[in-house]
Amino acid sequence: MTVLLYDHVLSPNCYKARLMARLAGVPLETVAVNAYPGREHLSEESLARNPAGTLPVLVDGDLILTETQAILVYLAQGSRWMGAAGPATAATVQGWLAFSARLTSSLGVARAHDMLRKPADIAAARSEGTLCLREIEARLVEQRLRGQGFLAGADPTIADVACFPHVALAPDGGVTLDPYPAIRLWMRAIRGLDGFIEMPGIHRRHDLTPEPQPAVTA
Amino acid sequence: MIPDAARHEWYPVAMLSELAPSFAQDTVLLGERLRISRDAPDLPIRITGPDGARCAVATRYGHLWTSPGGPKAGLFEIPEAAQPGRRFVDCGAVRVRCSPLRAVENFLDVAHFPFVHTDILGAEPHTEVERYDVQVREESDEVWATKVRFFQPMAARSAEGGIVTDYAYRVPTPTVALLYKTCPPRPEERDVIAIFVQPLAEDLCDVWPWMALFDDTTPQADLVQFQQMIFLQDRSILENQIPRLLPLDPGLETPTRADLTSVAYRRWLKKRGYTYGAQTVPA
Amino acid sequence: MAEMSLIDSEMSPGWTAVSLSGDLPALTVMPVTVGGVDLALWRGGSGVARAWQDRCPHRGMRLSHGFVRGDRLTCIYHGWSYGAEGACLRIPAHPDLEPPATIRTIPVACREAGGIVWVASGATADLPPDLTGWAPLRSLTFAADRASVIAALGARDEAGILHTAAGGTDLAVLLQARAADEITAHVLVPETAGLAARIGAVRWLETARRRAEGPGPRGIAA
Repeated sequence: MTVLLYDHVLSPNCYKARLMARLAGVPLETVAVNAYPGREHLSEESLARNPAGTLPVLVDGDLILTETQAILVYLAQGSRWMGAAGPATAATVQGWLAFSARLTSSLGVARAHDMLRKPADIAAARSEGTLCLREIEARLVEQRLRGQGFLAGADPTIADVACFPHVALAPDGGVTLDPYPAIRLWMRAIRGLDGFIEMPGIHRRHDLTPEPQPAVTA
Repeated sequence: MIPDAARHEWYPVAMLSELAPSFAQDTVLLGERLRISRDAPDLPIRITGPDGARCAVATRYGHLWTSPGGPKAGLFEIPEAAQPGRRFVDCGAVRVRCSPLRAVENFLDVAHFPFVHTDILGAEPHTEVERYDVQVREESDEVWATKVRFFQPMAARSAEGGIVTDYAYRVPTPTVALLYKTCPPRPEERDVIAIFVQPLAEDLCDVWPWMALFDDTTPQADLVQFQQMIFLQDRSILENQIPRLLPLDPGLETPTRADLTSVAYRRWLKKRGYTYGAQTVPA
Repeated sequence: MAEMSLIDSEMSPGWTAVSLSGDLPALTVMPVTVGGVDLALWRGGSGVARAWQDRCPHRGMRLSHGFVRGDRLTCIYHGWSYGAEGACLRIPAHPDLEPPATIRTIPVACREAGGIVWVASGATADLPPDLTGWAPLRSLTFAADRASVIAALGARDEAGILHTAAGGTDLAVLLQARAADEITAHVLVPETAGLAARIGAVRWLETARRRAEGPGPRGIAA
């Protein structure tokens, strides 16, 4: 059975699902929903699938998942992306999954305001977004002192996938990433993972491909 | 104070499909607040400036157009918009913290494709921009670039595999740019892709991409999202150019042969005295 | 090629710390701001750190958004790449063209010492302060002016280095003014400090920042 993802190319939460599927090697078929400007996510058909009208929505047979964090869990279940065994790591992963919702309601709101003209209390969204970035930065600084490069351990987990997109896209909402060296290195590590895919606003790492030699074509 | 040269051009201020049968809403153009309204479904749309004066109104190419100082001429023609069989795709506005002129100039550029639209509109090592033709057409006073050829891995939503794409570019008015490119399903025709730029301020704009394609099969959502993906890849570039305003005088930036369209566009702006969003004195 | 003069900027004379060495691994580039001047700080494959004005001479794109291959920094916009000395070496749109020698980036004096990357306004004969015995901990940015930062840290100035203590752990602090009310603190701990002491210091610094920024809407500016 094909796993379907109702998707929007500009949505960081949809990107989380696409990125997770690629990283975990789960085949996914995407269905583009013209949420902007078409407002198709609020169509009768979309609301029948997800009354909240949000994207992404994952459909696998009878299973319908409408919460991004649940989609990540579904795609990563049984893989190393769920984190190392043990209650501390499992709880830490859950903590950062919950935290990712704060990113959506701060940095995500600022981005929708600045880019898609969505009304918001922009000062409050940016201020809360900055606090979130500081929390992640402090966590990553501590993790590096422990010899661990990711939010919930030495290896990346769904926690990193859940937090990475809104962080990387913070400048879209007028929130600078300049003062966060640990976040910069963490994003670089994620962008360098096997299976990493980009989304508009998050460029690929061109340093991973060699400088082309002078053209030999005629 | 809006320079005179800017007051008499046409600008997009809304997407027609987003307007309710009757409505009243505000928008900003060239730093001034405009009121857009329609009192009843069968009445025409009215646009009034900050002094209450009525502004010119045109409803074409999926968008609502106005000219705050009264237009010098009618809205520019896009003959392809009247061609039977074309599909028109509105893509919605994307707001960008950049000069409206920088947004147009970026649209006229192919050399950035391999680095900004990697594996879609371009890819290393196919980075060469061959010589192409640029002119200001006297009769229409438009900037045109023709015979622009570039290798593209995935030129359109309907494309399969890489092709050398033929482009022509056209600037009919300072904040509008169109391109004509190889249409994969109909080799004898050209797809038309445009950006209609609404300057909110000298360093802030709403960009309305719009397309007129021959494509009967691709779902609308895929077409819209392909174009949004491309434009959003440009946005992080446009918000990080220094200075924010487009330099019209040579010296601050370094054009090469690949930038001939940009050079012609900047000269054309300078000749018309179009300085809104431009930096005219070297920093 | 003369190095860029930052004399007219708000940048103070002498060396300013702009990054921990470890935060700038080989083959990376990062933006730094000193006294309102934006720089692209990068490290090529050969390991040398360099600082240039954050602007590609072609179209004004920030070079800090670019990428590093080997010992070249490349602009993300059109792929123009610049060698260690700042000369443009490649213009991808014209693969057969040897770029004119006049196309260059604008460098700023940059040195590395004591696990810290330093930049200076114009040529400076002085050496960066001696940090023997100290190990870099972290950099963090305060939305506060210099005096508020120093007060919140409870720091005293000794030969250009601020000293304070987080609990029982001594700290050395180097300040970088991005702007008058935006100060980055580069913090070092004694080389002998253990993991618990270092983590304690990281957390103490978060508290010091809250103290420096004072109350307000959740304590920070946007």
